[in-house]
Amino acid sequence: MPMPDSIFSMKDVSFRFPDDVRNTLSSLSFSIVTGERVAISGPSGSGKSTLLYLLNRLYPMNCDGIVEGDIHLFGKRAESYAPGEINHRVATVFQDPDSQFCMPTVEEELAFTLENLNTPAAEMTEQIRRVLESTGLAHLRNAKIQTLSGGMKQRVATACALVMDPEVLLLDEPISHLDPKTAKEFIGWLDRLQKTFGITVIAVEHRLDSWGSFFDREILIDADGAIEADRKFIPHQPFHYPLRLNEVLDEPAISATGLSVKMGGKTLLHPLSLQARRGECIVIAGPNGSGKSTLVKALCGIHKKSSGTVTSNPCGYVPQSPEFLFLTPTVRNELAFSGTSSLLQLQELMDSLRLTHIAAHNPFAVSHGQKRRVAIGAMLADKRHVLFLDEPTSGQDRGALLELFDLIDSRLEKGDTVFIVTHDMEFAAAIADGVLLLKDGRMTGMFPAKRVWEDPALLAVHHLLPPKGAMQHAESPA
Amino acid sequence: MRNLLHDMNPSIKFITVTIAMLGLAFFFNPWTPLLFFFSIIVLQLCCSRMDWKIWSLFMLPFAFGAFGYLWTTIVFAAETGGTVIWSAFGFDVTDEQWALALSLSFRVLAFSSLSLLFALTTDPVRFVMSLMQQLKLSPKLAYGVLVGYQFLPVLKDEFFQIQQAHRLRGAAVEKYWWQRLLGVRRIIIPMLAGAVRKAERAAFAMEARGFTGEPRKEYYQPVSLKLKDFGLASAILTLVIASSIAGAMLSA
Repeated sequence: MPMPDSIFSMKDVSFRFPDDVRNTLSSLSFSIVTGERVAISGPSGSGKSTLLYLLNRLYPMNCDGIVEGDIHLFGKRAESYAPGEINHRVATVFQDPDSQFCMPTVEEELAFTLENLNTPAAEMTEQIRRVLESTGLAHLRNAKIQTLSGGMKQRVATACALVMDPEVLLLDEPISHLDPKTAKEFIGWLDRLQKTFGITVIAVEHRLDSWGSFFDREILIDADGAIEADRKFIPHQPFHYPLRLNEVLDEPAISATGLSVKMGGKTLLHPLSLQARRGECIVIAGPNGSGKSTLVKALCGIHKKSSGTVTSNPCGYVPQSPEFLFLTPTVRNELAFSGTSSLLQLQELMDSLRLTHIAAHNPFAVSHGQKRRVAIGAMLADKRHVLFLDEPTSGQDRGALLELFDLIDSRLEKGDTVFIVTHDMEFAAAIADGVLLLKDGRMTGMFPAKRVWEDPALLAVHHLLPPKGAMQHAESPA
Repeated sequence: MRNLLHDMNPSIKFITVTIAMLGLAFFFNPWTPLLFFFSIIVLQLCCSRMDWKIWSLFMLPFAFGAFGYLWTTIVFAAETGGTVIWSAFGFDVTDEQWALALSLSFRVLAFSSLSLLFALTTDPVRFVMSLMQQLKLSPKLAYGVLVGYQFLPVLKDEFFQIQQAHRLRGAAVEKYWWQRLLGVRRIIIPMLAGAVRKAERAAFAMEARGFTGEPRKEYYQPVSLKLKDFGLASAILTLVIASSIAGAMLSA
């Protein structure tokens, strides 16, 4: 018998997708009681999200998955709930701020939720007013959702969840698409809400270091989908990247003078000058809309520059979604597309980027990390040795970040120049030789990396948080 | 008064416009569509806040189309009877030919002005909500369309991003139209891949908020159905009938 105040209880639960041989989740037993703040952590593909979807009944119905064992929700067997019934009591916020909404304005979106619950129309206005008040979003009532920032969208998604007056709030990696500063603000806001509403919070998260001491308890799922640990939550340390030891070569790779971009009569980028050498890694950072992407696109010739000159080795560009670059049905053809490199050079390149074993795969069907390697490979095969990576760190877990670090590090070692647009200052601290700060379309300056980390005020002006554990890097002999 | 067409119940407007188009299709004289075209303009002048600049911009391609019909019907028409009313450059234009040509091109104008009346005075979201409330469209379909509508700006953004990326790779050979078409196919594939993922996420998000696809009992902003909606509908239909009668009389 589950405890009377236990919200969820699982006994020996296993879960398998119909097409899989292996269980995604195996033999899970735990229970969660009212008012707890629980983090569910584990590596990518460990079945964390699947577990969450078992709690709000999105699974097994939506995937015909096979469940073994007993799942009790609020003391009742999970199977006894009608579709949609549990969602009144268990609300969910998902990770992608761009695909959680179906109505144009905040007010209509909240009303959509209430209509789903068959709330009498007369009560809706009051409930919408109340939830906007308590979440501090009253000023956004008539705002168009598409015009809001990612952080605000996640708050609106949370408000849409809370308007149902649920007992449990499930969060599926809610901050993975937010930059660290916005994420920190979101967590602070969530902390205050939890105290006001006294609601149970369960979050799936792979970057727990950003959450401080928000949680009470951590359930760690291992790569096989079993519980590795179920323990009291201890604040996580940011993880450390290896040290970089390679040298910047004294050969110029790119230099721009007086570069500016105007579009439709608006100045997107005020004149700026910069240079970078071979083997150098420059991080481009600044608030959203400060012109980071414009600068990158102007430097590699996608945007037309309005003034100035750029002297550079050929530039390659890898967008946040690397698949935007893909043109052919196999990885091998993708690299060979332009025909710039000889067969031998292509083979060497594929070996060094670990692409040989997937050479015959479709580039759209490989993993995200592999897609990025294919994209970089395609750029290098075109002899573009100045690489621009747009937001490669966004939404990546620990393993993916380490892989990205190794990838960039190995390119730098080969004498390529790498520019990275990112908000992730831990990553920047580990990899960057220089940091280029932008604000309102103007370059504040290009600073040696070490100087920037010691200047929190400068970072704050650019909506950045100093890297946690920066001291460790400052002290190290690199 | 000037909000009448904008506030009109979108479902009623949709049905009215459809009936009007079907009705017009039965009249082959040039006068009926011409009279109707002008009456639609007058209707819009007094019952809408039409932005005439946008209207003209949308109307322009239709006007070209109408002229095209006129021209080709005159020049390439099959031999018909009737008296020759005009001849130049070796073409003999008979009165029947001329009437047919005018009728075709005025039809294009009448139909396009009617479509624009609907398109430019109707809020898409309100239209879908009204279809669901008045015409019992399934909520699954209705909200599906609305989600798609929310995705449009994102998709547009992605389209340009992909186009830029492809251009950088030297893939955008845009010399002939068939090469451009092939290029678009290359852009569509990554967009589709992303769209499938987005659609699944959106579906999950909606379901997690208690959406089951059942017909709903309560609406926050019910799309109203008032007497004046029917009034306006009969006004438009009266215009159709009046211009048909007048057209038939004038061409008799």
